[in-house]
Amino acid sequence: MSWEQIIVDSLKKADVSLISYVPDHSIGKVTKIIEKDNFFHLVPATREEEAIGIAVGGYAVGKKAAVFMQTSGFGNCVNAIATLCVPARVPIPMFINMRGGPGEFNISQVAMGKITNPIMDMLGIVNYTINDEFKMDQLIDGALKLCFANRQPVGVCLTSLLHGGKSV
Amino acid sequence: MFRFDATKLILSKLDNQPIVANLGPTSDELWHAEHRDRNFYTYGNMGLCSSIALGMALCNDEKIISLDGDGSLLMNLGTLATINRENPKNLIVLVYDNEMWGQTGRQATHTSTGTELIEVAEGCGIKNTAIVHDLETLSEAFDKALVEEGPWFIVAKIEETDYLPVPTPEPEFTMYRFRNSFLN
Repeated sequence: MSWEQIIVDSLKKADVSLISYVPDHSIGKVTKIIEKDNFFHLVPATREEEAIGIAVGGYAVGKKAAVFMQTSGFGNCVNAIATLCVPARVPIPMFINMRGGPGEFNISQVAMGKITNPIMDMLGIVNYTINDEFKMDQLIDGALKLCFANRQPVGVCLTSLLHGGKSV
Repeated sequence: MFRFDATKLILSKLDNQPIVANLGPTSDELWHAEHRDRNFYTYGNMGLCSSIALGMALCNDEKIISLDGDGSLLMNLGTLATINRENPKNLIVLVYDNEMWGQTGRQATHTSTGTELIEVAEGCGIKNTAIVHDLETLSEAFDKALVEEGPWFIVAKIEETDYLPVPTPEPEFTMYRFRNSFLN
């Protein structure tokens, strides 16, 4: 099964129905599947911190929500995570396309890619890095279970080794 | 018109509909006016009040009320475009516009220099809009927004006044109380 289908299946299994996101080349492969599935409500946001706010709203009325973004977008939403999700204990799985890794062509993406995991570590946010599809279904299922049990966001970092990245 | 009086007026018109309140005096005054499980006070995340309300409106059929502020909404004007795109019929955004960042020393915001939030909302495509300057016109506009399909965007021009005591920030309990009211 493809990595993007594994993510969609796990979200469904965990009853995560609201997906807010800012488009990204690699994550577009996942949202392409999601937009055809009536189980999901897919909301394109203008900025990643807005996507976090929308997801928090969904959770607050009893649903489960996830956010998709790339590393630059994670930089845009650190304050929303630190001042809302962490103190209010809001479990939001964040699927992050890791720019700035092996094969990156754009110098502007490298620094944010390098600090994304350390920022999550400093915030106490559990985060996993996925480089290939080996046991990926178990890892995503487990990350979602932990996220909602811990009532804190979880980072699922998808690298260029998994999805091929973006070329010039 | 003072924000506290406006908030009390809004509460008097509601049954149990959820309210999301902007951080600072808007949340504090909502707490003082009537502390209820369906109040979602915010203590940080400046700019996200109406985005949180949008997420609620997309996942629940009740009327959802966002009590936003000019300084906060100016941080996240893009959410008006998302509100228009998603077009939730049950969302009411009420922006208290005092033309200042009240909590940081009452510095003038951009709504004091010609930026009209109602025109921004209309430019984003939101059709149901109103601007009100007193409690009477706020009452009329809100009554309409409660019964007619939205999304609604109402700007309430307010005067700033002294602040009430700040209740203890309890974001985890706010979320717990609020969310449980939908699960039970």
